[in-house]
Amino acid sequence: MSGLPKIQSYWLMLIATVITVAIVNTSQMITQRISLLLDRQASELLAADLVLASGDPFADEYSQQALKLGLRLSRTISLRTAVFLENDVQLVELKAVDALYPLRGHLEKTVDLSDDKTRVQVGPIAGEVWIDSQLLALLGSDVALGSSSLTANWLLTYEPDRGGTLFNLAPRILMNLADLPATGLVVPGSRVIYRLLFAGEQSQVSAFSTWLKPRLREGETIQDLENARPEMRRALERTRQFFAFSIVLTLVIAMVAIAITARYTASREAPKVAMLRAFGISQSRLFRFYAWQLGKVWIIATLIGIGVGWISQFPLQWALDGWFGKELPPVTALRPYLVAAVVGFISLAGFSLPYLVNVIATAPMQVFRHISSPQSVRRNLLVSGSAIVTVFLVLIILIQSSKLAIATLAIILVTALLLPAIFSLMINLLLYSGPRGFWMRQYLLSRLKTSTRGAVFVMSGFSLALLAILLIAVVKDELLSSWQTQLADDIPNYFLINIPAGDIAGIRQFLKARKVQSSLAYPLVRTRLTHINDRSIKEIEASSHNSAHLLNHTFNLSFARDLPDDNAVVEGKWIDPDSGLAQMSVEKGMAESLQLAVGDTLSFSVGSDVIKAPITSIRSVLWENFKPNFYLIANRQLIEDLPQTWLLSALINDNQKHDLRQLLERFPSVTLLDITVLMARVRGIMKRASIALEFFFLFALASAFIVLFAAVQTGRHERQNETALLRALSARTSHLYQINVFEFTLMGTLIGLFSALFASLSGWIISVYFFQIDYHFSPALWAYSLASAIIVLTIAGTLVGRKVYNISPMKILRS
Amino acid sequence: MTDNNFCISVQDVTKTVDTPDGELDILQNISLKVRYQEALVIKGASGSGKTTLLGLMAGLDNISSGEIILLGQSIADKTEEQRSGIRAGKVGFVFQSFQLVQGATALQNVMLPLELGGDKNAAEIALTSLQQVGLETKKDILVDLLSGGEQQRVSIARAYAVRPQILFADEPTGNLDAKTGQQIADLMFRLRDQSGTTLILVTHEAELAKRGDRQVLLESGRLQGKS
Repeated sequence: MSGLPKIQSYWLMLIATVITVAIVNTSQMITQRISLLLDRQASELLAADLVLASGDPFADEYSQQALKLGLRLSRTISLRTAVFLENDVQLVELKAVDALYPLRGHLEKTVDLSDDKTRVQVGPIAGEVWIDSQLLALLGSDVALGSSSLTANWLLTYEPDRGGTLFNLAPRILMNLADLPATGLVVPGSRVIYRLLFAGEQSQVSAFSTWLKPRLREGETIQDLENARPEMRRALERTRQFFAFSIVLTLVIAMVAIAITARYTASREAPKVAMLRAFGISQSRLFRFYAWQLGKVWIIATLIGIGVGWISQFPLQWALDGWFGKELPPVTALRPYLVAAVVGFISLAGFSLPYLVNVIATAPMQVFRHISSPQSVRRNLLVSGSAIVTVFLVLIILIQSSKLAIATLAIILVTALLLPAIFSLMINLLLYSGPRGFWMRQYLLSRLKTSTRGAVFVMSGFSLALLAILLIAVVKDELLSSWQTQLADDIPNYFLINIPAGDIAGIRQFLKARKVQSSLAYPLVRTRLTHINDRSIKEIEASSHNSAHLLNHTFNLSFARDLPDDNAVVEGKWIDPDSGLAQMSVEKGMAESLQLAVGDTLSFSVGSDVIKAPITSIRSVLWENFKPNFYLIANRQLIEDLPQTWLLSALINDNQKHDLRQLLERFPSVTLLDITVLMARVRGIMKRASIALEFFFLFALASAFIVLFAAVQTGRHERQNETALLRALSARTSHLYQINVFEFTLMGTLIGLFSALFASLSGWIISVYFFQIDYHFSPALWAYSLASAIIVLTIAGTLVGRKVYNISPMKILRS
Repeated sequence: MTDNNFCISVQDVTKTVDTPDGELDILQNISLKVRYQEALVIKGASGSGKTTLLGLMAGLDNISSGEIILLGQSIADKTEEQRSGIRAGKVGFVFQSFQLVQGATALQNVMLPLELGGDKNAAEIALTSLQQVGLETKKDILVDLLSGGEQQRVSIARAYAVRPQILFADEPTGNLDAKTGQQIADLMFRLRDQSGTTLILVTHEAELAKRGDRQVLLESGRLQGKS
């Protein structure tokens, strides 16, 4: 079949497939590497990749096995002790660290709270200690720790693994492990927490964790990201989800490009196929030939796409290195390449084969005479069905979250079904309304309406591509700005904790006098969960890491009259402050982990007291807003008489930081917690994800360009015939120019309007239901959508249209 | 030099096209003149160059050499835009494959050249034209739904709607059965007689050719006999 087209005839489809393969390959490599990096970021919350904690020293076999697997190892020992602070005794959390601590992350220290902080990778050297701001009075002096005396040289301002939550803190003293024996503080029977910190490659950590779990002794627990700070965990989860979601949208555009180019190629091949069939060449032979051509397209596209993907990781790595300050972890697995090849194959086959089957199955006479057959509906169903299965398969391969995958598929399907219907409806409405004259409005609309022109299909495809771009570009900004609003510069940057109830009024007055903004004060009652519905938690088998952690967690129980900011009751009713009945509100994540429901009864131990209350509401909590947040809130009457300290948050600007020393001197029991570093880290994660997304945006634009090119090319033959006819009917160049501009402006307007509408709706659904963020109507989104669709389509259409202006009207005599 | 008795004057025209095997002369040294109100039939076998000659006479394509005067103006050195201006409102076409705007009604198709020419009463004139071809009752029907004969009648109505001085018809019955073809030929000549329009008709059908005032025969791109 030497007369058939060569592989070059499929170049548009080839480029679309190359982009698809490159997107998948790059996203797989970068997602994997970013995931490793985000894990590493998360690891910094533990100061390691894995932490083992126990009240007793560890068996040597743990360290030996870890070293054997190539892991790095660090040891810390924590205990509570007391120091003298201005003739008073102050309880402190003493932590002794070796020279390798922290394995992940860094420490920050300063000599003056109002000065810049120094970032360091190692802790105190032998002979010195670093102290919390609460112990400011000890700075520069010798601190007596048991039998030793060590110099307090620095204030410790950031410690990556400090506590499971923000508020479980007594003032910290950090010392070198080598100095600990001399203090004599660790003796048999001391309440000490030994920690072994491990870090290494993901595979090594995973292998060690698998080896370790069955060997754990009683009292030994593994700590990982699941029980790290909830505010960081949520930020990381959202970033990952949004990242995956954006990549899928980019891929949708690439798949639209394949679909449009496949249709374009098929329509161009139809007359040749009809001719060959008329000459007696069998359908099966034609199918084999075209299937082989597609196979070649796939092989070439896969090779080039993987090459492009491989190269693309370098500029991205270069861009991200600046943020991370270290190299992205390497990817050695073959998976990114395999997934890219498989997705490329599925996309190409899924979108091209139905058109191919249709073209080959169409009777030659129908092609020659441009008539449709009763089988058209069945063939359209084949194309649609195959497209749905293709998108579904790709989503299943690429999206980890089934909820997000199903939602994305639903949005794509609804959009793909609605858009052509809406465009057809709009064209018909415009066609049957307005002035009676035929030229030029009615003329154009009647042309757009004909199926041979494929205008509705092209408009739907381009609209879907624009919609995806809008969602990535504009909704991304929406989401980021929503996050930024939650982390706005004017939200509190300090927590004041361990406030005795008697000091609350004094502290508030102190802050007010210095015009420092502060939050409501919340009481904290330290409790342990003992029973769920009268069943002891010792009898309850933990279903996950997180539930195990929560069951053994020391909770800060608080009370509040009103629902705190950024909390929302998702089940039950918020606490009735006047009823006097015991009531408990539980955070949604905790309720899910422990399978708690409204009506269940929880029992807690507080020292020697036991309190019991039914769950009356379940709340969602926006952990990453860095405001005082609680797993458990009770009614006031239930806990007001129990031992408690209070906390409040405050926004202390640089000028006011000089007053902090005075605050700590006047209220010595208060611990000041600077959360600026934590907030900066959450912001940093979002910014990094944003940079990576902007890179994928380039792929999205490249795909959109292919869609645009195919869109203006599709129907070019029709347009040439129309131009020749109009010329024969004495149309001037100005007529041709007008009709061309009008056509693409009208298409651009409709595409821009409906893309903006769908992007707004999708953005709202995604923001509210998946990212739990308020969605703000964005006029800018409509402006971008309309302007980009009209300008880009009109310019591209006019440029392409110019080529047919000078076409000889003789063409009409020859056709 | 122009002669006011002739609406078209073709002088020593050659049309050459490039082919993979080199240059090919489709028409060679063609000279002929067409009087106003004359019905000239160009006949010849398939591939003899009939349609090319019709297109060149109508100014739809460039000649390679020679001279063509259309309605008193030379079109040899004119651009497509200028030739279009010369044709506007003075020339009509009837094509073998009808060349109607699909998705538009019969009336809209007839209105199209009138509106392109800026005629304010396009709808009224188009309706009159449709009445002349007996299709006024089908004015609002999409042309896609009309039979072949009806579509060609719409095409004739469109051609006559602009009251052309010259009507060019390229195998107007070529896509129709014998009976319908006969009806279309009757209609075309009746309208031509009524309007006094010059008719230049290309056909390979001997019966249709006989209805012209004068016939010329093309063979292998050359005009045979007296022109």
